[in-house]
Amino acid sequence: MSYARAMVVPAAHTSVSTTTGIPNGKLGMWLFLASEVMFFTGLIAAYLVLRFSHPAWPGSEGHLSVPLGTANTLLLICSSTTIVLALAANHRLPAAPGAAQAGNQMGAVRGWLVATIVLGLAFVAIKICIEYAAKLSHHIVPSTNIFWACYYTLTGFHLLHVLGGVVFNAMVLGYTASPAAWTDRGKRLELAGLYWHFVDIVWIFLFPLLYLF
Amino acid sequence: MSASSGSPVKKYLMIWGWLAGLMLLGVFVSEAPILPISKAAIVGLVVVLSTIKAGLVALHYMHLQSDRRLLAFIAIAPFLLLAAVLALLFSTRFVRL
Repeated sequence: MSYARAMVVPAAHTSVSTTTGIPNGKLGMWLFLASEVMFFTGLIAAYLVLRFSHPAWPGSEGHLSVPLGTANTLLLICSSTTIVLALAANHRLPAAPGAAQAGNQMGAVRGWLVATIVLGLAFVAIKICIEYAAKLSHHIVPSTNIFWACYYTLTGFHLLHVLGGVVFNAMVLGYTASPAAWTDRGKRLELAGLYWHFVDIVWIFLFPLLYLF
Repeated sequence: MSASSGSPVKKYLMIWGWLAGLMLLGVFVSEAPILPISKAAIVGLVVVLSTIKAGLVALHYMHLQSDRRLLAFIAIAPFLLLAAVLALLFSTRFVRL
């Protein structure tokens, strides 16, 4: 087994096919994230307009579990760190295939990716199995009132993005199984990391807006 | 690129500590009424803390600090558009809430 480093940074050293000097995939991911920023800020802006239109809202009916929200925030913060550590381990892979320490470093990349996926799944489990389940058991649904409509819309779309990120991370993890696949497609680790950090940033704002106000 | 110069692991772990610490500080400030300030001021403070955390992630974990400037422009552009839209939205001249 011999792994060559998937060259993700510096961008100038990669095979670049754009006049910007940025690899196509990375530029495309950033443009996608820019569109995602507008998607979520549109939803958040709608929530804020509704929230500030009614000072007493949501009242005692809109109570969310701060400990659960805090735990989920910690999970995403930890997962952002584990995926950036996977990227750092990838950078320590030798550029030339066949180096002796490549196997150990690839194990580190794999381990941090697995940790990221597990933390993401833990977030999903808490959100669906505990938070949503508790609300639904009390017949609290999006049509209950405008607060819960906002809550389910914002957290639901975020949850879909988390699930998408978990799938993306699992695909990148799959590439680590084969040295040839990693040399060819390992650079997608950086793209998966960018997406995952974005998901984390969205939650960084959703948590205080929904749970603490 | 910062990630390729020296060991970035220590920096990443330090950023994690700041993210976790700032998050817990926000929870503490909003849940424990210890500061003699209004609810609106607490809300503003927590949003500022969230913005600092988002900035730390974008600059260090997403490498905007050391990557090509074009990517920073792409990242900032939606916020400029958002500011313009919100200014329009909250303008009583155009919209009555």
